[in-house]
Amino acid sequence: MTRYVVRRILWGVLLLILVSALTFVLFRILPTAEPARLRAGRNASPRVIAELRVDLGLNKPLITQFWLYMRGLFLHGDLGYSYTSGASVRSLIFDRLPATLSLTIGSAIIWMAIGLPIGIVSALRRRTRTDRASMGVALLFISAPEYWLGLIVLYLFAADIGRVKVFPGAGAYAGLTADPWKWFTSLILPWLVLAAGFAAVYARLMRGSLIETLGQDYIRTARAKGLPERQVVLRHGVRAAITPILTIFALDVGVLLGGAVLIETVFEIPGIGRLNYDAITHADFPIIQGTVLLAAVFIIVANILIDIAYAYLDPRVRYS
Amino acid sequence: MRSIKRYTPLALAALALGLAACGSSGGSISGSSGIKAPPGVQTPLTESQTGGVRGGTLTVLNHQDFEHLDPGQAYSSVDYEAVYATQRPLYSHAPNAFSAPTPDLASGPPQISADRKTVTVHIRSGVHFSPPVNREVTSADVAYAIERGLNQNVANPYFSSYFGSLEGAQEAEKKANGGPISGITTPNKDTIVFHLTEPKAPILAAALVLPLTAPVPEEFAKKYDAHSPTEYGNYLVATGPYMFKSNSAGKVLGVGYEPGKSATLVRNPNWSTATDFRPAYLNQINIQIGGDTNVIGRQVLEGSHMVENDEIAQSTVQLAYEKFRSQLEISPGAGTGYIAVNNHQGPFANVNVRKALWAALDRVAMNKAHGGELVTNVMTHFIYPEIPGFEQAGGLAGPQVDYNDYPTGNAQVAAKYMRLAGYPSGKYTGATTLQIVGATGSPTSEEAEIVNQTLKNLGFKTKFSLVDKSVMYSKFCGTPSEEIDVCPNVGWVADFGDPQAVLDVPFNGEHIPPSNNPNWGQVDDPTINQHMAAAELVVGTQARAAAWAAIDRELVAQAVAVPYAWDKQPNVESHDVAGVGDVWNLGAWDYSFTSLK
Repeated sequence: MTRYVVRRILWGVLLLILVSALTFVLFRILPTAEPARLRAGRNASPRVIAELRVDLGLNKPLITQFWLYMRGLFLHGDLGYSYTSGASVRSLIFDRLPATLSLTIGSAIIWMAIGLPIGIVSALRRRTRTDRASMGVALLFISAPEYWLGLIVLYLFAADIGRVKVFPGAGAYAGLTADPWKWFTSLILPWLVLAAGFAAVYARLMRGSLIETLGQDYIRTARAKGLPERQVVLRHGVRAAITPILTIFALDVGVLLGGAVLIETVFEIPGIGRLNYDAITHADFPIIQGTVLLAAVFIIVANILIDIAYAYLDPRVRYS
Repeated sequence: MRSIKRYTPLALAALALGLAACGSSGGSISGSSGIKAPPGVQTPLTESQTGGVRGGTLTVLNHQDFEHLDPGQAYSSVDYEAVYATQRPLYSHAPNAFSAPTPDLASGPPQISADRKTVTVHIRSGVHFSPPVNREVTSADVAYAIERGLNQNVANPYFSSYFGSLEGAQEAEKKANGGPISGITTPNKDTIVFHLTEPKAPILAAALVLPLTAPVPEEFAKKYDAHSPTEYGNYLVATGPYMFKSNSAGKVLGVGYEPGKSATLVRNPNWSTATDFRPAYLNQINIQIGGDTNVIGRQVLEGSHMVENDEIAQSTVQLAYEKFRSQLEISPGAGTGYIAVNNHQGPFANVNVRKALWAALDRVAMNKAHGGELVTNVMTHFIYPEIPGFEQAGGLAGPQVDYNDYPTGNAQVAAKYMRLAGYPSGKYTGATTLQIVGATGSPTSEEAEIVNQTLKNLGFKTKFSLVDKSVMYSKFCGTPSEEIDVCPNVGWVADFGDPQAVLDVPFNGEHIPPSNNPNWGQVDDPTINQHMAAAELVVGTQARAAAWAAIDRELVAQAVAVPYAWDKQPNVESHDVAGVGDVWNLGAWDYSFTSLK
């Protein structure tokens, strides 16, 4: 097991190096503006641009730039500096991370808490009205763009512009340590909106996976042995059926930790997604690179964790 | 040209409003330019600047973040909202006056010598820096503020355009930390004198309204200016009625300004109303950054004590126009949108081909894509409304030339000019495939497509590309060696209310650098260049207006570019806000004049 984990971590590091290299190359071969010109701002004189080229190391050969970039990144965690604000990208990311973590973790709990039970119930009551109703609603939420859903929810339930003023609206977010109650209430709507689509997807996935699992021989054996149906379903059925869902869960959480751009924008939550969005609108490549790498890190780490979790969840899985 | 907060920098043509449905049903409020606002809608030209209620906290909902808070670096409309409330340049504008600067830190108008090589400014006494500096401002603080513009860590974006003729500026520019500049002298603590190598005092005097002239205390800022880039913007001191909330060391970053999140302006305890023309009614301004434009507009319209001070969503303007009309402000004079065509080589080096495109273009369709009549006027020449010289150059109707007479386009007139260009069929029959580079996004892509189609109708083959706006400017349209034939999404907003600031940089052939070139069409007409050089020397608002209006007519006669939109900017406020917008800053709400009801 330990060897497996170490091997996965090493593969993860290799993958990160590849992603870093890819983002570095992409930003230099795509038809983008020259970083020194962007950093210099409008009307900058050629002298200023030339000096910035030296400051940013852009006068060096590409391979040297790549080496310096990779060395700074992996030895010092240096992600560079924003072209627009001059702020350290690393500090900007760490500043925004708590909001994104809050949003992602909260909504992940909600979508798992809603989606999985609905999927299980639908699977157990296949082709009943309950099944059809729940899967129909799920389809509705899957089809609803989260940006649109966010606006609708705000127009309906936000304390400022809502028709029924229930929850704090856009711009109400406060940090957990600054004001825990405000943090919680301000995230209720974003959590629900973000979770809605995911819960619907997970309900359908869980339903499909559980139906397939319940048709397996070992389930029949368990029933034949006289185990209570509850135990058959939860201990033998769900436990096996949930394994592929966890793989997707890890990916989804990893992607969201890289930034939920639309939800963060609609609800004015200063997270990684907003940081990335602003960086894209200003062609602020160091920030874009930083957030891309962050998303890659989260996805890789989440995958490693979920692979490890497999061993505990599914008795058929053994790593050697 | 400074950047516009409503759109992305440099691209006035990127107005993201689609208000064709709103329209303008005949106006009741008219500015000096003759541009009318619909009944019930406010304009900065008519909002009362006096009699406001003192006190209270205004909440500002902004979609965009600041670019720079350092007065030496600030160069966007959204920056100016905060910078002009916290800093006092030598001169600034009253909200409704773009062309007539008001002495701010200065105690009177600039004195220009007879040879136009010296500008003398006296500054008023009794103006103090905010904590932690606290001391009285002197002329040396203004000198340092301007000199640091050449410090490569500050890299002021407009220094060379307006202050480049200062004696010693070129020598100072060669040094990494910029100044001192021998052409700036301070004979006493209340006087600053600018000595120039050329007789360019009029434009330097006009540029003294820019935030670069706001005083900076050297003893406080120097250590921050030593960093690359400067960190003074994180440790600001103020001279205006407000200051960014800061700690005892003057640190603003993380205290009164959290990038991408919020900013807080509080009263500057060292500001005295006796030294300032601004009433400064509000006690505090809380700026929230980053909201979705579709949401924050509605929050402002339905909420209390709020304004939106940047990009306004189409849905917000529609809602305001239909249900909250008294809370909607439309500001004229928000810049231009035009098509840059390559005057240097290719088919558009021929003046008649340029006139043919002008004649063929459906400018009304372009403006509908741009946002409709409520937020644009069909552009007929280059000096835009509220800038001196606008009326002399032709006003709204523009010069009476046949290629300008048909806002919806005229194929016959276009064919006439194509024949004059040497294409007997009235259509282009040459071998050149035009390279068109526009900007992605809405409505720029729609506008670019209209231009592309118009060119095809004229017989051209085109290679049509849409790229990110920053790429469009820096890699293509702003790089002369690329020789792009048509850039359909460029635009201009003047740095200050002087016609030279509108026409000189984008159309003077003397200013075509190899990169970052704002003369996108590579316009280089020796006669026009010569006339511009002469007009630069003219002193006096009226005389300058007349001189530059004549140049505007020449630019139209040579059809150096194809104009299509004079922008107007919408802004919204809550029902209980007595907002006062700055016509010189795209109608943005002025925190120093706005009050709560």
